[in-house]
Amino acid sequence: MAPSLLLVLGVLAYPVAWEVWVSLTDFSSRSTGPPAFVGLANYARLASDVDFWSALLTTATYFAATTAAKLVLGVALALLLARPGRGRALVFLAVFLPWAYPGGVSVIGWYWMLNPPITTSYSTFMGGIKYAVDGVLGTGGWAFTSVALFNIWRGSSFTAIFLLAGLNAIPTELFEYAELETRSAWQRLRAVTLPLLRPYMALAVFLSFTTAFADLANVWMLTGGRIVFPVLGTQAYWLGIKAGQLAEGAARSLSLVPLLVLAILLLFRWFDRREAEDGAA
Amino acid sequence: MRRRRAGRAMLLLLAALYGVFPVYYVTVQSLKTPEEDVFGNPLYVADPSFENYTELFATDGAPVRGYVVVPHVPFAIWVLNSTIVLTATVALTLLAGVPAAYALGRLRPPGWRWWRRALLATYVVPHTILFIPIYQVIIRLGLDDSHGALVLIYTTMALPFCVWILSAYYRHLPREIEESALVEGATPSRAFWRIVLPMSRNVLVAAGLFALGTAANDFMLASIFLIDRDQQTVAAGLGVMDVSLEELVAVAGVNLASIPIVILCALFARTYVRGITAAMVEGA
Repeated sequence: MAPSLLLVLGVLAYPVAWEVWVSLTDFSSRSTGPPAFVGLANYARLASDVDFWSALLTTATYFAATTAAKLVLGVALALLLARPGRGRALVFLAVFLPWAYPGGVSVIGWYWMLNPPITTSYSTFMGGIKYAVDGVLGTGGWAFTSVALFNIWRGSSFTAIFLLAGLNAIPTELFEYAELETRSAWQRLRAVTLPLLRPYMALAVFLSFTTAFADLANVWMLTGGRIVFPVLGTQAYWLGIKAGQLAEGAARSLSLVPLLVLAILLLFRWFDRREAEDGAA
Repeated sequence: MRRRRAGRAMLLLLAALYGVFPVYYVTVQSLKTPEEDVFGNPLYVADPSFENYTELFATDGAPVRGYVVVPHVPFAIWVLNSTIVLTATVALTLLAGVPAAYALGRLRPPGWRWWRRALLATYVVPHTILFIPIYQVIIRLGLDDSHGALVLIYTTMALPFCVWILSAYYRHLPREIEESALVEGATPSRAFWRIVLPMSRNVLVAAGLFALGTAANDFMLASIFLIDRDQQTVAAGLGVMDVSLEELVAVAGVNLASIPIVILCALFARTYVRGITAAMVEGA
């Protein structure tokens, strides 16, 4: 156990401590003296910053929308694949493909395909979508949406396969009973399948949260920040890395942590409870 | 009955399309010549050419696009670097993850549940600003501009989930398996190596594949930590290409780099599902 804990906690402990400390100072590449301790001033400033709240809203929307879409698609695909039938093996591989196709490089291809830089055969079509979406959401809306779509495409594949494995882990007798006890397929889904899947869904949702940012960051780095829709992560990056306002960037970046901690505590209750029960027994 | 079957077939087809279409679309573009890229149909390629792919490996005569000379990219070296980083990540993840998982799942030291949760909780740490202090750690370890830096970070990203599923598996494994091996005269470590480890093969594959997927999904860290062109991985390298001029070559590179990983995943896909299932079955 030691090597693993040392690796994960050791590599992360110092950076996290550093970030927390910095967020409590006025550390900035513009100041001349050594960083001074300012307490919670950076956080206090956030509360009155309109940009911060709008970015928080965008971030929350992005998380909620991508996670909901991944969950719905994942459950649907998993249920579809759980039933035996012809051609299932091939469809299974097709569903596995989005996750298997390495995201770090494919997001590059995706982004340029959806946001064509120059005149190509597909750019008229994509341009049409782009201006339609931008018209509704404002400049950069389509670029942002395209990243969300990519995240959903890849994430739903992971969720589907993960939930399929979860479905396989549930004893088939339970489904056979359910067949006898319930009237419709819809009722069966709501009363039996979904509750049984809940711990797996909780874990999948949690992993979806944590990858939702990675994709955005990938594209964002790649395009030199041409995605103008600010989320907290990109705002923090601008302030901290580009503008040298490290303290404020750190505060912004850390402001998400309480929310995420809340989320993880809730999720632990869901997917770790069963184990807590049999631990006590 | 018949209609239901047809409906199911339709859904399966839709699911397959959903998974494959984006990759198909990107592949079609990558097979186009510049002329067809501009005047052709976006959905298929009339006259496939591997020009964009061979371009990746060309070494002489830098092509001129408009007024710009586009330098060649050391794609073969990038592929080699990616291979090294990915292999090392998977190996290190399993090497560090298996003992941890066995300890947490089987030996259950005091507070094991909280250690397990703490590992998973590291996922909530936002990485945005974090790479400045991470860079400090990397430099302190003397790993800047080297593959070791990426291997280390990717491993920390993959480990929590891998430890989670592996320890769940070991926890549910009946104790009698090791006990009977001990009765037969095996030492505890021998029982682990010869009996428990081979039994958990499927879960190991699942954990390994997850580590591979995690490492392959990153672009940002690779491009921050690897500056030297000859040290870069495919993701980092393609990122610095002037994509507005060479978008098709970049896309071809994306596709080419993906092929081995996709094949690997396809080969192990069933085992992956079996592994996760095995980790989740209660009392199995």
